[in-house]
Amino acid sequence: MSELLFPLWQIDAQEYQAVCAYLRLTPDARLYEHLSRYLAEAPCRFPHPVGFSRHLARPRLTGFRIGRLDPMTKLFLPGHPLRHVLNGVIALHECDPRGYRELAAAPRGWRAPIAALGWALGFVANLAVSLPWLALQWVGYAAGTAFRSADGLAGKRALITGVSRGLGRDLMLGCLERGAEVIGIVRNRESREALQAQLPAQARATLLVADLAIPGALAAALQEAQIPADSVAIAILSAGIKHDGKSVLSLPELRETFQVNLYAAVELADWLCGSASGLDVTSAAKANRDRSEAPTAAPVAATSSGDATHDRALSSTTRIVLVSSMGRWHGMHHSGGYNASKAALSIWGESLDMELRQRGNRRFTVTVVEPGIFASRMTRQTPLTRMLFVSRKKVAIRILAGALAGRSAIRPPRWFALLTWAICLIGRNNRYRIFASANPRTDR
Amino acid sequence: MNRIVVVGSGVSGAHATLTLLERGHDVELWDVGQEEPAFPMQGATFHELKDRLADPIAYFLGADLQALVPPASPELLRYPPSRGFLTSSDDSLWNFTSDSFFAYGSFAKGGLANGWGANALAFDDNDLAEWPVSFSEMEAAYKTVYKRIPVSGPIHDDLTPHLRGVYPSQTPVRLSASDQRLLKTYQRRKWSLEKLGVKIGYARLAVVTDPAQADACDYSGRCLWGCPKGSIYNPRLSTLKECETHRGFCYVAGRLVLALRSSGNKIDGIRYLDVATREIREEACDVVFLAAGALQSGAIFLRTLKAARAEAAPQTEGLMDTTVVRIPFVALPSIGQPPDARSFQFNRLIAGIVGESTQWPRYLHAELLHLTSLIYHPLIERMPFDTRTSTKLFFALKPAIGAATLFFPDRITPGNHQRVVDHGGISAKVELHYRKSEDKERFIRHSVARMRSALYRLGCIPRGIVRSPPGAGIHYAGTVPMGNGPKRCDATGRSNLFSNLYIADGAAFPSLPSKSITMSLAAHATRVARMAEL
Repeated sequence: MSELLFPLWQIDAQEYQAVCAYLRLTPDARLYEHLSRYLAEAPCRFPHPVGFSRHLARPRLTGFRIGRLDPMTKLFLPGHPLRHVLNGVIALHECDPRGYRELAAAPRGWRAPIAALGWALGFVANLAVSLPWLALQWVGYAAGTAFRSADGLAGKRALITGVSRGLGRDLMLGCLERGAEVIGIVRNRESREALQAQLPAQARATLLVADLAIPGALAAALQEAQIPADSVAIAILSAGIKHDGKSVLSLPELRETFQVNLYAAVELADWLCGSASGLDVTSAAKANRDRSEAPTAAPVAATSSGDATHDRALSSTTRIVLVSSMGRWHGMHHSGGYNASKAALSIWGESLDMELRQRGNRRFTVTVVEPGIFASRMTRQTPLTRMLFVSRKKVAIRILAGALAGRSAIRPPRWFALLTWAICLIGRNNRYRIFASANPRTDR
Repeated sequence: MNRIVVVGSGVSGAHATLTLLERGHDVELWDVGQEEPAFPMQGATFHELKDRLADPIAYFLGADLQALVPPASPELLRYPPSRGFLTSSDDSLWNFTSDSFFAYGSFAKGGLANGWGANALAFDDNDLAEWPVSFSEMEAAYKTVYKRIPVSGPIHDDLTPHLRGVYPSQTPVRLSASDQRLLKTYQRRKWSLEKLGVKIGYARLAVVTDPAQADACDYSGRCLWGCPKGSIYNPRLSTLKECETHRGFCYVAGRLVLALRSSGNKIDGIRYLDVATREIREEACDVVFLAAGALQSGAIFLRTLKAARAEAAPQTEGLMDTTVVRIPFVALPSIGQPPDARSFQFNRLIAGIVGESTQWPRYLHAELLHLTSLIYHPLIERMPFDTRTSTKLFFALKPAIGAATLFFPDRITPGNHQRVVDHGGISAKVELHYRKSEDKERFIRHSVARMRSALYRLGCIPRGIVRSPPGAGIHYAGTVPMGNGPKRCDATGRSNLFSNLYIADGAAFPSLPSKSITMSLAAHATRVARMAEL
C-alpha cells in the first residue's frame, strides 16, 4: 500500500521498521501489507482518538517515541492508535513462522526468572524516563489548547463534493478519520468505482454520482438518495474546474467553470437552507442520470443507521464550507475564467453569510476557504511551485479545524496569502509581468 | 407409520435420532446443516502449521484479520473464519436480538458440539435437585451415552466420589509437564486444599486416547481449531454416521425451522425457512422432537404458542446460561521450564469446589489449563506492562501461565426469558432478556476467593479475573423447562400443551448445574426418545 489513507492510524514502511526494531522482530513486507490494510480499517472500527491522545498520535513514530508511547499508552491511553499498531504487529508476527520463533525465543531454567526480574526493572526504568516525557508532551498540548478547535465530527454526517481526487478526497479521508459519515459526490461512475476500490470496505461513506456541470444535478442526486438536508453537519463544496490555457473569452468553458465553481455552491446552499430554488429538479435528475448512466447512490459500507437513505439525528449546526482560491484576489490570463469564478464564489459566500445573519439564522455558518498553492491536479509542477507546495493533507486538516471552529475565512498557508496581497498592491503591470513569466502558455 | 421429525443435529438431536432409530422408527432429521471445511494437515502441530501452511495468516487470523483481537477488548480469543460452525448476530439467519445477552448458536451439521471443550460429566442427585427426575431415572440413559461416546479419564481419583455417572473407557489424556508439577503439588498439599473444599484430578474428556484406535489423539494441540483426527467426540463424525447405518434415517439439510403448526393440542405441521430459496414452507408431521438447542427450541416453541394461544404471554418460562469466570495464574514451579512439543490443547485437569451437602450445587466445576498452544496477542496485550516487556515476559513465563475456569450454575429466575417480538409473523425475531442476580454474584465472589486461595496453596500466583458477559457461556437451558404449566414440559420431555411435541434438548432443563452439560444433553435426549409415546 503506497499511500497512507489515514496517517493518524496507519504507519509507513519506515515506521513499521522502527516498530519491528523496538520489538526485536525482523520486518516482513508481506506482514506490513496485512498491517496496513488492517490499520486502514481502524477509523471505521474503533473510536477515534481525541484530545491529548490525538495530539500524541500525530508525529511520526521513531524508536524513541515508540519506547515512550508504548508504556504510556498502555497505562493511560488504551485506545491510542499505537496500541493497535503494536497489537497488530504481535498478532501478525506470531502467525508467521520466523516471527513466532523470534517472539518465542526465551531464556530457560534459572535464567528465566533472572531475565524476568531484569525486564521488570527495565520497565520501571522506562517509566522513569517516559513519565517526565509524557508530562512535557502534556504541557505542549495544554499550551496549544487555546489555538485548537473542538474535534467534533464523530458520528456526524459530512457532505463533500469532488471527493474522487485532490483536496476533496483528502477532506473526505479527514472526515472519515474523525469518525464522520461521509456523503461524497463524484462526477461519474468511473470515478466512483475507482474511489470505492481505494476506500476500506468498512468506510462509512456513501458515494453519489452528480455532474456539477449540469444545473440542478447536485440537488437532484441528494434528493434522489433521500438525504435529509438537516442531517448534514458540514457541507464542503470542494469540486472545482479550471480550463487551464483557455482564453477568458471562451464562453463555453467560462459557463462551465462558473456552473461548477459558483452555481453548484448556490444549489448546495439552497438545498441546505431549504429555500425555493426554482429549478426543475426532475428534469435535472434525468439529465444527470443520462450523463452518468448509472445508479446515483452507492454506499461503500453500511452506515450505523443502515444506509444513507435512513434518517439520522438532526444536526443542530451546519457548517457550509466553500473552497475558493487565493487566485480570487487577482486576474489571470488564459485561465478559462477560473479566477473570476473563485472571486464570485468568495464574494457570494460572504453575501450568503450576511443574508443568514440578517435573517437571524444561527443554524448555518459560512466559511470561505482560499487556499494558496499546494499539490493538486490544477497546479503545474515547476521548480518554483514545488518549493512553495503545502501538503494537501495539511490543508485539509486546517480547513476542517477552521470550519468546525466557525471561522469565516481560512487561507492556508498564511505566508502565501500575504504574498498574494502584496502582489495585488504592486499594480497590474507588475502583476502581469510576474504571472506572464510564471504562466506563459496561450490558447490550446 | 408416524412421520417423526427431529429438529437439530447437535448432541441432543443426534442422540434422540439414534435412540428412535434403535426403537425401530423411521426418523427425519431436519437441520440447516452447514458444513465445516476439512481441517488441513493432519499430524502437524499448531505451531508447525505456521511453517507448513501457504498462508498461515489467513488460516489463523482470517483473510481480513477478523480474528485479530483489538486492544482493550474483553475477548481472549476469536475463532478464525476457517471455523465456521459458530454463528451469532452477524448471520442473516440469526433471529435473536438482545443488548444484555451475547448469544451464540450454530447452523453447522453437529451444532455447537463442533467446538465444545470435551469435558464429559454427568449430573448427580444433588445437581438434579430441582428436576422432577432423579439420577437413578437418568442412569440408564447416561450408561447408553457413555457407551456411544468414548470418554477418557481415571478409574479413580479424589474427584470420583463427586462425579457419579461418569464411566471412562479410555486412559486419561496425557498431562503437560506443568500439569504434572501442579498435580504433584496438589498431592503434597492435599490436606490444606481439602480445608477449602478444593479437589483436583484428571479431566474426564470425550477424547479417544487409545493409540490402537485410528482416531486416537495425536496431541497436535489444535483442539480449538478443529481436531483433524476427529479424536474429540463430534456427533457429526460418530452418532450421525451411526444413524446413517439405519435404513429408516433421513437427513434433511437446508431447513431452518421457525414454528410448528398446531391443531388443538396436537402439532400437525412444521413451518420452516428453505435456506437455499429463502422461502417459508410448511410440511405435515405427526411427532416432533425439538433438539435445536435451548435458544432455537425456545424460539420455535414461542412462535408456535403465539399462533396457537393468542392469550398467552409470548415469553418463555426461563432462560439460563452458565457464567464463566477465568482466573489467570502463573505457576511458580513451572517458570523457566521448556514448553511441551505436543500436547492436548484443552484442559487436562479439572477441579471441584465441594460445598455443604445442603448447598446447590454441592460441586462447582472448574477446569485447570496450562497454556500450550494458542494465538497469544490478546493475552500479551492484557499484561500490565508495555508491549515489549509483556512479550518477553509472556514467552519466558508461558509454560507457567494458566487459567482456572469456573462454571457457575443457573436457575430459572423471573426476568430472564425469551420473548417473541410482536411483528414478523412466524419468522419474528426473539428477544433475549437476562440480568444478573445478587445471590449468584455473592456465590461467584465467594467461590472465586476460594479458588484464588487454592491457587496460592498450589504455588500459583493468580492475577485478575476475566469474566465472560451473559450469554458467552454457551450452555443455554431452561426455555421450555420441565414442570407444571402450558409453557413447560413433563418429566419425559413431552410438552404440557402439545401431546406430540417433545423437548429433547437443554430447553427442558429446569435448572443448570455447574458441571459440563453435553453428556447430560445426550442422556436427556436419549431418555426422552426412549420414553416417547409413539
